[in-house]
Amino acid sequence: MLTIGEIASRVGVSADTVRYYEKQGLLRPEKRSEGGYRLYGDNAIRRLQFIKQAQHCGFSLAEVAELLKLQGEPEARCDDVRHRAVAKKVELERKIRALQTMSAALNELIEVCQVQESRPLDFCPIVAALEAGLVAPAAPEEML
Amino acid sequence: MTIRLEFFAVPGCSRCAQAKTALEKVVQDFDATKVQWREVDILQEMDYAIELGIVGASAMAIDGELVFPQLPGPQALRAELLNRLNRP
Repeated sequence: MLTIGEIASRVGVSADTVRYYEKQGLLRPEKRSEGGYRLYGDNAIRRLQFIKQAQHCGFSLAEVAELLKLQGEPEARCDDVRHRAVAKKVELERKIRALQTMSAALNELIEVCQVQESRPLDFCPIVAALEAGLVAPAAPEEML
Repeated sequence: MTIRLEFFAVPGCSRCAQAKTALEKVVQDFDATKVQWREVDILQEMDYAIELGIVGASAMAIDGELVFPQLPGPQALRAELLNRLNRP
């Protein structure tokens, strides 16, 4: 059995993160030591790695919880996970496009301010453009 | 007037395939010249899917508008088609 520090170190997260996952209902210690310390088994390592990787792929902790719940459902199929993965990809692609729009808007602002860096802020074209609403905003649903 | 139906999903999705079978049956009840059906692979046409506002792994658009963000049941699709075909 591993202590919280050991399991955290094995997976590459902090002990606080493990405690937070536990608070969120994602993880439970297998048992407690006589002194009341949390003790974890191999299953907890796999679970922690799963949580970490899923977060790396963009899943929120709530979504990770759903994925973990699926693991315990005998009628759950690969398709259920794939469906969520595709939905997540669509969400990420939407965010990528929103970021590209924002980046392009910044390019426009940077372009108009090229050789005026020493002018007082009152004459800054970026500030003026932002005040005048000259930058095309991303759609509300595209805001991150 | 021809209604353009677009069924968004990804290949290999069994739950989408089941829904597709049921929805295609509805479409077959209509004159083929009145209702067109197209399957769209979301992963292949991501730009278009995002442009329409799709947020999930399956959806249905009608005439280039996201009418069903989640796949409808056969009755809902039939009602929507009848409604559109009966419009003056």
